[in-house]
Amino acid sequence: MSKDKIFEEGQLLSAKTTYQRVLKGTFYSVLTAAFLLTGCGTKEEPATKPAAGETVWKVTATTGMVADIVKEVGGEHVEVTQLMGAGVDPHLYKASEGDIKRIDQADIIFYSGLHLEGKMVEIFEKMSAKKPVKAVTASLTREHLLADPAAPESPDPHVWFDVSLWMKAVEQVRDDLAAFDAAHASSYQANAERYLQELKELDDYAREQLGSIPKEQRVLVTAHDAFQYFGRGYDVEVMGLQGISTASEYGLKDVQTLVDTLVERKIKAVFVESSVPKRSIEAVVQGAAAKNHTVAIGGELFSDAMGEPGTPEGNYIGMVRHNVDTIVNALK
Amino acid sequence: MNTFWIILTGALVAASCGFLGCFLILRRMAMLGDAISHSILPGIVIAFLLSGSRDILPMLIGAAVVGLLTVFIVQLLSQNGVKADAAIGVTFTALFSVGVVLVSLYTAQVDLDLDCVLYGEIAYVPWDTWQWGGIDMGPRAAWGIGGVFLLSLLLVGLFFKQFKLCSFDPALAAAIGIPVVFFHYLLMTLVSFTTVAAFESVGAILVVAMLVVPSATAYLLTEKLHVMLFISMGVGVLCSVFGYLLASWMDSSIAGSMTAVSGLLFLLAFLFSPRHGMVIRMLARRRMRLGTN
Repeated sequence: MSKDKIFEEGQLLSAKTTYQRVLKGTFYSVLTAAFLLTGCGTKEEPATKPAAGETVWKVTATTGMVADIVKEVGGEHVEVTQLMGAGVDPHLYKASEGDIKRIDQADIIFYSGLHLEGKMVEIFEKMSAKKPVKAVTASLTREHLLADPAAPESPDPHVWFDVSLWMKAVEQVRDDLAAFDAAHASSYQANAERYLQELKELDDYAREQLGSIPKEQRVLVTAHDAFQYFGRGYDVEVMGLQGISTASEYGLKDVQTLVDTLVERKIKAVFVESSVPKRSIEAVVQGAAAKNHTVAIGGELFSDAMGEPGTPEGNYIGMVRHNVDTIVNALK
Repeated sequence: MNTFWIILTGALVAASCGFLGCFLILRRMAMLGDAISHSILPGIVIAFLLSGSRDILPMLIGAAVVGLLTVFIVQLLSQNGVKADAAIGVTFTALFSVGVVLVSLYTAQVDLDLDCVLYGEIAYVPWDTWQWGGIDMGPRAAWGIGGVFLLSLLLVGLFFKQFKLCSFDPALAAAIGIPVVFFHYLLMTLVSFTTVAAFESVGAILVVAMLVVPSATAYLLTEKLHVMLFISMGVGVLCSVFGYLLASWMDSSIAGSMTAVSGLLFLLAFLFSPRHGMVIRMLARRRMRLGTN
């Protein structure tokens, strides 16, 4: 009997110590994790190598398109950090912890503006009191911009698809960099001139290519109205399902009107976009199929973000060319 | 310094939400924060239509008004025979749908979603500072949240007994002459102000999580309301500190990491709480089984 009792107490004791060990273990692992985290957290980002006595300015840009301008115009005098990577919708972008450093350590910041970056724009406007923070679209005036008549103060921010407007953004960056670093103004001037020449060729290419589509069929149907400036600039009729905001819902009538137009005007293709889900545009294809009109999905267009770095679509010129070629191939 | 301000703002949000969250949990209205995060959409649309701008002040006023309307409707429904969860569900879907209809009718061409015009981002807090008499007073968000937190502490502190009784036994409270309805509305008003102020400073996910998770964690660890309040605020502060470290380590979203840490702390409490913990209960059962042998 007493033997049994001792056994029982032994079991109890061991159960208790197991529990304590578990607790202790958890405590220590949390502690270790905390130390590991602090250790990693304070790690500095690799410093840039100054090129033989020259200062290389740290520039932070928001979207890929803006980063591209700064790289081209800044040349060897700048090191560009881009906040929003390939395929990121700037409206839905969430800042990460590292972005605080990337913004804080920048010598000069460029962003797209016109509320494209949402709440971030307000922060940039506040920061501009302390360090140079520049909107590349700053020089665009009301006659350049498209806005809903109901809200003239809130223009459409997707200006980069009209290459001639984006050239104004290049000039803006050129002037801002020259003012910021007057010592290399001539270098920025020369770089900008070369890049503007390339963009002029791109603009001509787009106009010529798109002009070869018969006017009746020169209609761009896509899921998200990012192409209003593109349409105005290159005389392409643009029809979308959604409003400007990626969060607004499309109405049933929108889908039906669109399907009717497709059938009536024998439009051959509709397009999906890299940063908007395919589902909404596929509904339109099926709607047209029900009315015995075959509509192809013409391919993927880049809208709010460029392609992966290293691919042809990973820079601004490649992205615009891709969009133009995709549209021309599908509609012709 | 940036790190300090972010952790401080996170801790203030977590503590003020964790504090009020305890009462919401006891009243089975834990998802009220989530409801408010959706229901304020018509508020900002109407504010935009009236003012024609997306500036933060009209947006904030619109959100605050509809936030109050939300909690009042929820309270009205729930004290007239609708279950609390159903009252929350009905109210926020109705208001949200009004917002969606208004957006598609009047503002389809304007980028007017909550993420874009109202919800803040905790990462930007240190740069949005407040000047007073020419002196930089630090982030506006910390002051704003700190202010509403102080108001909650003050009101709940003054009427702690009343709040306590109203949460646990409203019938008894009414019987001894406490104006139960008044205190319910007062609590709901505080929740509405706190959430809207916090949404504007740090975004939705962190606020919704902090209204539920720390207080749910505290609920597992104690049976006393005042202890629960302190644990809940403490858990909130831990979430902020460790969440920031996690975000810094992984270079990820700060609000997301703080929320993830709160989930982890809840899990620990769920497994190891001295009274309710799953592991503890398992050990106790084993002990009992051995005892009967």
